[in-house]
Amino acid sequence: MKFRIFPREFRDKCFTASCMFSVCLMVFILVVVLFPMMARGLKAVFFQGTNEFREMQLVVFGHGDAERIQRENGEIEEARAFVYEAANRFRRGIDTEHLADEVRGAYRDYGSYLRAAGISGERYSAQRARAKDLRDALLDAFESRDKEYVQSRLQCVLQSRADPDFGGTPIEAYFETAESYSRIAASVDLSRREQYAEAFGEVREALHKLFGPGPGEPAPALTMDQYGATRWDAVERELHRLLWSEDWVETEPGRPMVKETRARREFFAGTELEPVFDYVETNLEKLFQPRFTFYWRYFMDGSTDGHYFGGCGPEILGTLALTFFSMLFAIPLGIISAAFLVECTGDNIAVRVIRTCINTLAGVPSIVFGLFGMAFFVLFLFPVIGEFGHGTLGIFSAEAADKLTKPNILAASLTLGLLVLPVIIRASEEAIRAVPINYKEAALALGAGQFRSFMTVILPAAAPGIFTGIILSLSRAAGETAPILFTGAIAFGPVPDSILEPTRALSYGSYDIAVGDRLAMLVPHKQYGMVMTLVALVLTLNIIAIWIRSRSSRKLRGL
Amino acid sequence: MTEYQSQELSLDGADASFLRRPARAVENAARDTTAESGEAGSVIRSKDFTLFYGKTIGVKDITMDIYARTVTAIIGPSGCGKSTFLRSINRMNDLIPNIRTEGFLTVNGQNVYDKRVNLVNLRQQVGMVFQKPNPFAKSIYDNVAYGPRLQGVHSRSELDSIVEECLHSAFLWDEVKDDLRKSALALSGGQQQRLCIARALATQPRALLMDEPCSALDPIATARIEELIAQLRNRYTIVIVTHNMQQAARVSEHTAFFCLGELIEYDLTSRFFTNPSNKQTEDYITGRFG
Repeated sequence: MKFRIFPREFRDKCFTASCMFSVCLMVFILVVVLFPMMARGLKAVFFQGTNEFREMQLVVFGHGDAERIQRENGEIEEARAFVYEAANRFRRGIDTEHLADEVRGAYRDYGSYLRAAGISGERYSAQRARAKDLRDALLDAFESRDKEYVQSRLQCVLQSRADPDFGGTPIEAYFETAESYSRIAASVDLSRREQYAEAFGEVREALHKLFGPGPGEPAPALTMDQYGATRWDAVERELHRLLWSEDWVETEPGRPMVKETRARREFFAGTELEPVFDYVETNLEKLFQPRFTFYWRYFMDGSTDGHYFGGCGPEILGTLALTFFSMLFAIPLGIISAAFLVECTGDNIAVRVIRTCINTLAGVPSIVFGLFGMAFFVLFLFPVIGEFGHGTLGIFSAEAADKLTKPNILAASLTLGLLVLPVIIRASEEAIRAVPINYKEAALALGAGQFRSFMTVILPAAAPGIFTGIILSLSRAAGETAPILFTGAIAFGPVPDSILEPTRALSYGSYDIAVGDRLAMLVPHKQYGMVMTLVALVLTLNIIAIWIRSRSSRKLRGL
Repeated sequence: MTEYQSQELSLDGADASFLRRPARAVENAARDTTAESGEAGSVIRSKDFTLFYGKTIGVKDITMDIYARTVTAIIGPSGCGKSTFLRSINRMNDLIPNIRTEGFLTVNGQNVYDKRVNLVNLRQQVGMVFQKPNPFAKSIYDNVAYGPRLQGVHSRSELDSIVEECLHSAFLWDEVKDDLRKSALALSGGQQQRLCIARALATQPRALLMDEPCSALDPIATARIEELIAQLRNRYTIVIVTHNMQQAARVSEHTAFFCLGELIEYDLTSRFFTNPSNKQTEDYITGRFG
């Protein structure tokens, strides 16, 4: 007895174990996929926002407490002043082009000063010649890389300091310049001037990314350049770029190059810039005043060009519109087709061919639908309809006819509808076929016609199954990118006011960030935020649909 | 043969009730006159009726009259064509593809296989109760009101009175009167079957076809259905197919025995079970068959 039972028990246990294993595996995969995505997506909503973020919100979207932001900005300006001053001082030593221009300008000003003072003739020429000497001495000093030569030329200039002829004239600035340059030249290794200039360019770029445009700089044209690091993670990223330089160096010929990370603090050692790095690193909190931010407006705000700032409100609206209109098209058509296949036809060869075609369509890649939608709706059907409606019938305005020739929500919805139609037809067909013949017989025996019996008895009984198909296709329609790529999606643009306008969409937005130049690296939170929103949106829609389905199936079970 | 044909044609002209949609009042009046015209008059007549499923014969050469306001039981072994015959009467067999008929099957003098027959009217006049209780997944009220609504009755008070009347007729009213909005599927099997009978009665049929109505029910529910049939026999022509010979003997006035698609014997129930004229019938009812 025991010997006979043992293998059966063993088999049962194995079966149970394999079932448990696959369920666990599925849950694990789901967690591995969903959890990090959601966690990253939430960073778009919950994060440490800096004052730059608050200022951006105030200026671009008009949210926030203006007074408080101004007060904070004042404190931050003070804290940042040290950095800018140091950078300026350093710049004067390195960027001698700039100094040379100043010196040349002062010389020209001196000429007009002399003319204005009514000095002319020999005295004028003599004065100018002396000023020219000073200028040339300074220019020599700016260009030279030899420390001693520089100092000797600067001494030449400073000797004329007491000269009363230059007192109160534009030339007086020469002495200050000479003095400060002599100090700078003493601290800077002049032979490395080019390297300094290049590295300083990187530092300035990093500072720009951190703090936004410096004082006195003109406002950049792009919104993305008008603000510094708005989020603490961006601050940390840009701080790294400020503190460390990365170079690709060749260690030995023929080998791949190696990335070498060097501290800029050491590179700029002994210069005016050196204290800046420590200052920024230690005073980061003061420089940015980060605060925990719950950016719930992420789900409502539009976004600035390039997805840099703002939220995904228009994307959510667009996705909802596309899903709604595609379902509006696909659900009735799908149910009617399924009803036809089940109720109105026998099992002949034509029906079998149609069914095979539908099953094939369900497996066609979505990009094929996208291309079809572009070729058929956008390029062929809509322009023809627009032309006919505008030119022949005169019921469309010229504007509407023009919009019909371009990608729009209608074309995208129809394409999405076509994409999910086979899924709905198949699910509905199965559901309608599964309704017990009893129900139909009962209705027919009471004198209901085919249509009445379908509408009043079979359709309600098939509703749960049909809803399953709708749930599947709803998620698909909301999340597909390829079908709307050419038929109605745009990356930026206003919220559409009719279905003849193109729209943004969550799926297309995250795709656009992913393929955008460095965007995915700079604003990963926005991409993940859109993906999270999409998942949450689909989940919500599904929960609603599942709720309706469970209601209708409970009704069918008589609860 | 000629007699049937002429009768059919003449009635076609006189009372083409399947061919158009009679108003409910007219229909009631017509039923009343039929009732007055003769208790023993046959409502359903079949003459050499043969039905083919493709090439297979379902029933063959059935000739029998089913009398008004009586209960007629059809018994026979499985696959003998009794259900097929029953379902032919209101053309429920149309759901099966490739069926073909020969001969005549008339209801109130009209050939139901006439091309001009309005199936909706036919089925409203010949109600049907199925083997398995099949109430719709709607409330009790909506189940009963389904037929009248199809006939165009939408007035609330009228529907209320029809529902109450039909539920009374089906002995269900006392059990469900407080909860007409409850789903019909929450009822027990026996209650569901009685609801189905009430639903069939709501279209005011002349005849009621019952296809093994008790085979899915327990003895107590069966007893209630039989009691119900006994009550209904005074008002409706009932044809009941059953496997249960005791049931046939209990409820029916006439009994027909089908075997292999043919009508073997058709007689008064009292004579049928006590003194069958056919050897096959005797074998079947005494349990020696097959």
